[in-house]
Amino acid sequence: MSHFRFEIVADYLPLLLRGLGYTVMISALSIMLGALLGLAVGFGRMSGQLLWRAPAKAYIHFFRGTPLLVQILIVHFGLIPLILGTTNPIAAAITALSMNSAAYMAEIYRAGIQSIDKGQSEAASSLGLSRSQTMRFVILPQALRRMIPAFGNEFIVLIKDSSLATVIAAPELMYWTNAMKNQYMRVWEPYLTAALIYLILTYSMNKLLIYLEKRQGAAS
Amino acid sequence: MKRGLWLVLLTLFAMVMASCGNTGKGNSESLSSASPGETSEPVSLYKIATDASYAPMEMMDKDKITGFDIDFLAEVMKQAGLSYEVENTGWDSLMTSLSSNKSAFSAAISAISITSEREQTYDFSAPYFESTNMIVSKAGSGIQSALDLKGKKVAVQGGTTADEIMTGIMGEGSTDLKRFDSNTLALLELASGGADAVVADIAVVKEYIKNNPDAKLEGVVDKQNFSTEFYGIMFPKGGELKAKLDPAIQAVITNGKYAEIYQKWFGEEPDTAALLNP
Repeated sequence: MSHFRFEIVADYLPLLLRGLGYTVMISALSIMLGALLGLAVGFGRMSGQLLWRAPAKAYIHFFRGTPLLVQILIVHFGLIPLILGTTNPIAAAITALSMNSAAYMAEIYRAGIQSIDKGQSEAASSLGLSRSQTMRFVILPQALRRMIPAFGNEFIVLIKDSSLATVIAAPELMYWTNAMKNQYMRVWEPYLTAALIYLILTYSMNKLLIYLEKRQGAAS
Repeated sequence: MKRGLWLVLLTLFAMVMASCGNTGKGNSESLSSASPGETSEPVSLYKIATDASYAPMEMMDKDKITGFDIDFLAEVMKQAGLSYEVENTGWDSLMTSLSSNKSAFSAAISAISITSEREQTYDFSAPYFESTNMIVSKAGSGIQSALDLKGKKVAVQGGTTADEIMTGIMGEGSTDLKRFDSNTLALLELASGGADAVVADIAVVKEYIKNNPDAKLEGVVDKQNFSTEFYGIMFPKGGELKAKLDPAIQAVITNGKYAEIYQKWFGEEPDTAALLNP
């Protein structure tokens, strides 16, 4: 290790910030798609019918049981060329991250919903609410509030995991970090800068979630 | 409480930064204070780092490290009368460990091109291998030179001289230039239709074309835009090994051993003129 060369960081800052833009975009889209897909998988997982439950369980097992890096490579070199006819690193990153995240989100939904006391749905049905009404008006509002910390954790994990997309040359933050490292053959400037940027990103995400949690708490 | 957290984070970051700065200073001080006759403790077993993922220069054969560089290194160390062991560290740790002369590794051999940027951080041995880059594309693509690649999608291994040259041609922020972790992934991108061409070291490309005859690939050498480059053994700045290995490298090149190893890995005679008269 020798002197920390700030001029290297300054030189690459515009590219790192452009990469940050992609990181934010990839993470935000993956969080949204993952949350939607996870909802479907989660309800499938809790379904009384084996026809729904079995594939949902298999999905969760596969995506939680294999490394995300492997999933990204399979999606990039296998799935995306199959659909688009060519590779597309950004599409592959978003697809792989949201599919992976959905498996974890599904379990968060399940945990949240199952944490609501059975008495609640019994009371709701004795009031004459249908099963879907009970879910929408009684269970989900309470469950979602309990899920917020777990969601927050998953979002932060996803933001950090998006850095793995550098292996398929998606031009996100880690990609330009590596470019910087490779051009100057220096390690500490790029890695410490990237760590600081990711930290600021996840810290702000955390802030946002605490704000949401408080607002939810006040609303109830 | 919250302010406290920020403070802790900032202090932590500052400490890491400061420690980088300090070790750097420490190194240069110890260097300048050492008198010429005074060498650091003699090392009995030199540890040499490599990134064994660059066939045919260095690669893994099951759990054994092999390749042109490895055979060459063996001859050089024999010539210099030094015992050593090679360790596969990967490219990143190779750089990190060599950037400090307190490192466990005394040198690295890994098809490392000698460039002026790299010479700012590391020492290099005398050049031991002459190479150039080659463009590989699907047969019939019509790509004849590096300039034909403008506006096309090009995959390279990040951090190689191919990356450097193509960055120069296509622009630093170009999204058409895709930098992968390894040449294998870059070539896979070409096969998957995500790139029109790959630029990589001639030895790597030839090996790949030879191993994938069904892919219908062609290689183009562009002497105008790709200058030749030289590989060197890389040392931490101010290390003692360079002085011992430079004469050994010259000897291995002149005594015919070099040609023997070259023949074994590339099936042809080397042209050593440029290595002997740099």
